[in-house]
Amino acid sequence: RKVVVHVRSAGNAPILKQDKFKISGRDKFLRVIEFLRRQLHQDTLFVYVNSSFSPSPDELIIDLYNNFAIDGKLVVNYALSAAWG
Amino acid sequence: MGSSSACDGTLSLDEFNASAKALVTKWRGIDVDALPDWEWRPCRKMGVPSETEGFVALEGVYRIRAGSQQIEESSDDPVPDDDVVGHDTSVQSSRDNVHLYDFHIVYSFSYKVPVLYFQGLQAGGQLLTLDEIKKDLPPHSLQLLNESKWTFITREEHPHLSRPWFTLHPCGTSDWMKLLLHKLGDKDRSLQYLPAWLSVAGQAVGLKIPLKLYCSS
Repeated sequence: RKVVVHVRSAGNAPILKQDKFKISGRDKFLRVIEFLRRQLHQDTLFVYVNSSFSPSPDELIIDLYNNFAIDGKLVVNYALSAAWG
Repeated sequence: MGSSSACDGTLSLDEFNASAKALVTKWRGIDVDALPDWEWRPCRKMGVPSETEGFVALEGVYRIRAGSQQIEESSDDPVPDDDVVGHDTSVQSSRDNVHLYDFHIVYSFSYKVPVLYFQGLQAGGQLLTLDEIKKDLPPHSLQLLNESKWTFITREEHPHLSRPWFTLHPCGTSDWMKLLLHKLGDKDRSLQYLPAWLSVAGQAVGLKIPLKLYCSS
């Protein structure tokens, strides 16, 4: 089953042109993180769900969606994390 | 009294205490099967427990030492990535392969944020070095520790136990807490502070926080 994820930039993170996509519920949150890293060309991102916590990368998308989706979408925010060097 | 956790990612001592007690209560209520319970530890001044100062402790978290191959797995289950094993799981390994971790959440008066203090012990009670602790951590935690200025480990004297512990340095905390708490109203912000904070601090030290902590009751 695919679910809709809506990514939103926070702080001074760049806004993505494509900010909504569908992902399999059986995938892990890591896929969202990796997608964001690729699109933004950034490794150190701070990624968190609208309900104010940062999920572990091995959480299942379907678990996040079932518990925290609003209006049929899982909202994931991303910000640039302070990186070394 | 102290500044509210309004928009700057910090919290006052009173807010810390309230959030800590809410965390302990909620954690107990969600029946976490892989981890023990957080406990509130009041500080003692001359033997008398303080009303206003204390910290939250999660102790006796088992980790199977990296590289040890003696866990009996049921036939088809893949070996989990996460090294944390609950203390009621039957583990067929020798005692020497188990490391025990203690985690304390202590309020920092100088940064006005919570700070995570932790230590690891071998089965015989010897303290683990930082390198040994890092070997127990999943790759994601190591990446967080190495890449982000917001999450790195230093060694500090535990403010209440007068011994050096490892700690996640608090200097970046208010920056990321500002982001996490941004959408919440004032009252929610205080009580939700520690669970939100723990979602990040836990990842840095390989502590898997159950999703149920973030669901509204």
